[in-house]
Amino acid sequence: MNNSSLVIDRLCDQAAGKDVAVVGLYCDFLAQQEQSTTNMLGAILKQLASRGGIPEHIREAFRKSEKEFGGRRPRLPNMVEILKKTIASLQRIFVCIDALDELAPKRQRELLESLQEIVRVLPNVRILLTGRPHIDDEIVEFFREAVRIPISPTGDDIRSYLEMRLKHDTTPKAMDDELRADIMRVIPEKISEM
Amino acid sequence: MLPGRQQVIGNVNSFNASTNYNNIVNISAGQDAERHQILRWLSPLEPQQRHEGVQNDRLDSVGNWVLETNEFRKWRDAEDGCVEPVLFFYGSPGVGKTYLR
Repeated sequence: MNNSSLVIDRLCDQAAGKDVAVVGLYCDFLAQQEQSTTNMLGAILKQLASRGGIPEHIREAFRKSEKEFGGRRPRLPNMVEILKKTIASLQRIFVCIDALDELAPKRQRELLESLQEIVRVLPNVRILLTGRPHIDDEIVEFFREAVRIPISPTGDDIRSYLEMRLKHDTTPKAMDDELRADIMRVIPEKISEM
Repeated sequence: MLPGRQQVIGNVNSFNASTNYNNIVNISAGQDAERHQILRWLSPLEPQQRHEGVQNDRLDSVGNWVLETNEFRKWRDAEDGCVEPVLFFYGSPGVGKTYLR
C-alpha cells in the first residue's frame, strides 16, 4: 500500500498492449525549490523519452541548445511546445499529478496554466490531479468542468492500514490479542464517526 | 508484438510512468551516448525514483472504490473530446493515515 499507486498501476494494466502512455509526477513540500514548472513538465518528457526513446525533435532542440545557449534547459514556453509536439504523436496520455497543493502556490498556477494550454489543443490528454480540498478553486479557475471526487477511506482501507501498522509494530512486546482486537474494532468505529 | 513497439514496463514499487507506443523511434542505448545528457537536460527531477519515506501518499490512499466510479471509468475510457479531461481527487493528506497517527 505504501509503495505502489493503485491508480497508476491500474491505468498501466489497462494501457498494456495499446499505444497509451501513463506518466506520474509527485509534488513534495520538501522539493519545492527544484519542482519548477519547467522541471515538472520536463519530467513528463523524461518519462516518455526514457521508456520510448528520444523523439527526433527533442534531440534537435537539445543540440541547438548545446550549440547556441550553452546547453541551457528550455524555458517554460519552449518546454510546453516540445511537450505538445511529443504528446501529439501519442494515441493517448494519462498524466497523474499527486499532491498538487505541495507545489509552491505560484507554480501550481503556472503548471495548471501550462496544462490548460496543452489540453486546449490536444484532445488525447487526460489529467488526474490529487490534492487537499482547498486547491479546488484554483483547479476550477483553469478547468471549469473538472470532475471532482472526494476521497475518504473506507472501512476496509482503514482495517488494512491498521493491519499493516500492527505488523510493523516496533514494540511488539506491549501487544497482545486483546489489545489488537480492540484496536481493530475501536479505531475504524471512531473514524467512521468523524 | 508489433515491430518497434515498446512493451509496458512493470511498475509495482515506483509511482511512475509506463509507456507503450509506436510513434517514437527508439534508438538503442549503446549507440546513443547523447541519450543520458538529453534526459538530464529535460529535467533534473527523477520522478521514476519516488523516494521512500514520502509522507503524504495521496494517490496511495485512493481506494479501489474510486476506480469503480462512473466518473473515473468515463474519464479513462471515453473517446477523446467526449469527456472532461481533468479529474481531481481531493482529500486531506493521507486520509486514513494521518488520522490514525
